[in-house]
Amino acid sequence: MIRHVEGTGILHRIHPLTAFGLAVSISTSVFVAPPPLGPVAVLAGTVILAVVSRLPSALGRTVVVSVPFWGFLLLIHGLLRHDPGRAVVIGSRVSTVILVFAAVVTAVQPARLVDALAALRAPFSVGYVFSATLLVVPRLRDRARAISEAQQCRGLRVAGSPLGRIRAVVPLTVPLVLSALSEVDERAVALATRGVGGRAVRTVLHPPNAGGLDVAMGILGVGILVGSFFWRVG
Amino acid sequence: MTLRLLALVPLAVGINLAMGQIVSLLALPVYLDTVGTVLVAALAGPWAALATGLVSQLILGLFVNSVLLAFLLVQLLVAVYAGVMCCHFRVFRSAPRAGGSGLVLGILAASASWPISLLVFGGVTSPGVTLVTAVLGGLGLPLRWAVYVASLATDIVDKTATFLVVYAVLSALPGRLAGRFPAAARARGVAG
Amino acid sequence: MTAIEVAGLGYTHPGSDQPALADLDVSIPAGRVTLVTGRLGAGCSTLLEILAGVAPRLTGGTLTGTVRVLGVDPSTREGGRTLVGRVVMLLPTPSSQLSGMTSTVRDEVAFGPANLGWDRQRIARVVDGELDRLGIAGLADRDPATLSGGELQRVILAGCLAMEPEVLLLDEPAAELDPPMAERLYALLPELTATTVVLATTDVDRASPHVQEVVVLDGGGVVAAGSPSEALGQEAVVGLDAGSTVARIVYEAGGRGRLPIDVAGVREWIAS
Repeated sequence: MIRHVEGTGILHRIHPLTAFGLAVSISTSVFVAPPPLGPVAVLAGTVILAVVSRLPSALGRTVVVSVPFWGFLLLIHGLLRHDPGRAVVIGSRVSTVILVFAAVVTAVQPARLVDALAALRAPFSVGYVFSATLLVVPRLRDRARAISEAQQCRGLRVAGSPLGRIRAVVPLTVPLVLSALSEVDERAVALATRGVGGRAVRTVLHPPNAGGLDVAMGILGVGILVGSFFWRVG
Repeated sequence: MTLRLLALVPLAVGINLAMGQIVSLLALPVYLDTVGTVLVAALAGPWAALATGLVSQLILGLFVNSVLLAFLLVQLLVAVYAGVMCCHFRVFRSAPRAGGSGLVLGILAASASWPISLLVFGGVTSPGVTLVTAVLGGLGLPLRWAVYVASLATDIVDKTATFLVVYAVLSALPGRLAGRFPAAARARGVAG
Repeated sequence: MTAIEVAGLGYTHPGSDQPALADLDVSIPAGRVTLVTGRLGAGCSTLLEILAGVAPRLTGGTLTGTVRVLGVDPSTREGGRTLVGRVVMLLPTPSSQLSGMTSTVRDEVAFGPANLGWDRQRIARVVDGELDRLGIAGLADRDPATLSGGELQRVILAGCLAMEPEVLLLDEPAAELDPPMAERLYALLPELTATTVVLATTDVDRASPHVQEVVVLDGGGVVAAGSPSEALGQEAVVGLDAGSTVARIVYEAGGRGRLPIDVAGVREWIAS
């Protein structure tokens, strides 16, 4: 999973929702812009944005995910269907979406996004489910690994015949589910006793600010989308 | 949303995402990444399952691979189907019923995701499915059929396995735990 | 003055046929620290869940009898709503109490007060006060997900105290703390004079010097109640194998009657 990285680039400094808006706008533009050059141009622009925002990890991750994708695209569309242009178009679109969301998710700290949503009076459940999921997923993954090790110590065989491996699924899954479900009660109780569910309107501790940079990025986002539209139509 | 539901959804999403650890350890050609969603459908009903499916796909799409965002509606379909199956048709009463429903869902899910895979991604999705697609394409099948057949094969196996796993887990739940989730008894056909 | 009044309380967990609590009568005085203890499964945690209003509303199960916390019935929706922020509970495992919505310890401590809708100045004041009181001011800017179990439990406790509750319920709060830290936590409780503290733990030896009242439960009912030396010194309690170690040793050495529960008590007992 992508982890937040501290930084001072553009995407770090703007309001979290401006960043996500920009990601949505760029992702839409790459589908609107006319093939074959449109998607490539948007991809190039997104790479520049990621470089300027100083997000090497997002770029790295995009390359890692994109390489097998492009490989298959060139195999299926380049080799088998003799239409490499289509491979480039689809590849550019996919890489753009991956890059722009990786960049935004790396730059925006989850707590800041939650604060931004709370400042807009989004229901508590939205922020909580988002945050709690991010907290719980790595822990349950670790627990799954620990359960696998423990069960193997007790004699569970995880390699060998397909039937044996299939049979191993349930003894590995049941303990995971049991531990997850028992935590439900504890979490619900903890929420109740720390004031969630009362009548009061929740105070937002750090409402994010939107400044000049947000206006600039907003204009950029809208501009890219509109520009793509006119390029396609014209 | 009640506090228990609020606490349940993140943990169910966690189950969805943690199943990948188990599946890769056992080197099985399935994902089982909707086990949490289907389980929640059986334990807490269709709305909870819908929330789980939605959050799962959003988290995966944002933090793992944005390509998955395109399949959000398919995930919601899975959740709704599981919810309806559990609550109205009591499919977790027996293994054959569970497996059969999973098979049907596999067909539905593949039929829903296939156009997206083809039109948006040119038939390229996850490595396993795409490999099958490429082989079928190489054998002369038109791309659209290659993608559909590959999706069908993968989704039927995956969803059938998912429903069977959830059936097994529900049967293994101790009475006290199951008692805290009133929908569980209905799904298992035990009471109500 | 009584903060909590329980009469004829019975409770059965969902999916279970044995009642966890049966015909329980308990009165908890305001502003003092009361220890609720017993063997494992005696019903102490369950009692706290009922007082907090989470059982049966959140956990299910059936409740009989009457419960009044600060004059309100916590098991009703209205009652529960009235008591939000006024009755706060600390659970044994810190990791499941972490909200996950904050990136610093300071914000995590502020989570409860923020839910109560307080203004930011009041929150800042209260949070700083609790960080100091718990000795964790140095952790204020740390990410809560990186803390150890003991540090995290202190953060959660600070978060509970920051809500300025009238009733503080603690369910095995020192379960993940090492002995010196557990001792410090218990020693903190009598200082909270404005709060009614109810502590449920089997760590009797360490906790009892810091409490003013004791209630001993067994089989879902009250076996003994009173001051620590009154309640824990009873033979019936010692026989339960849930109470003061000193009393048990004296009992097994042949002592009878009102047994001493600590070393000072033993000296007096020998002298008499």
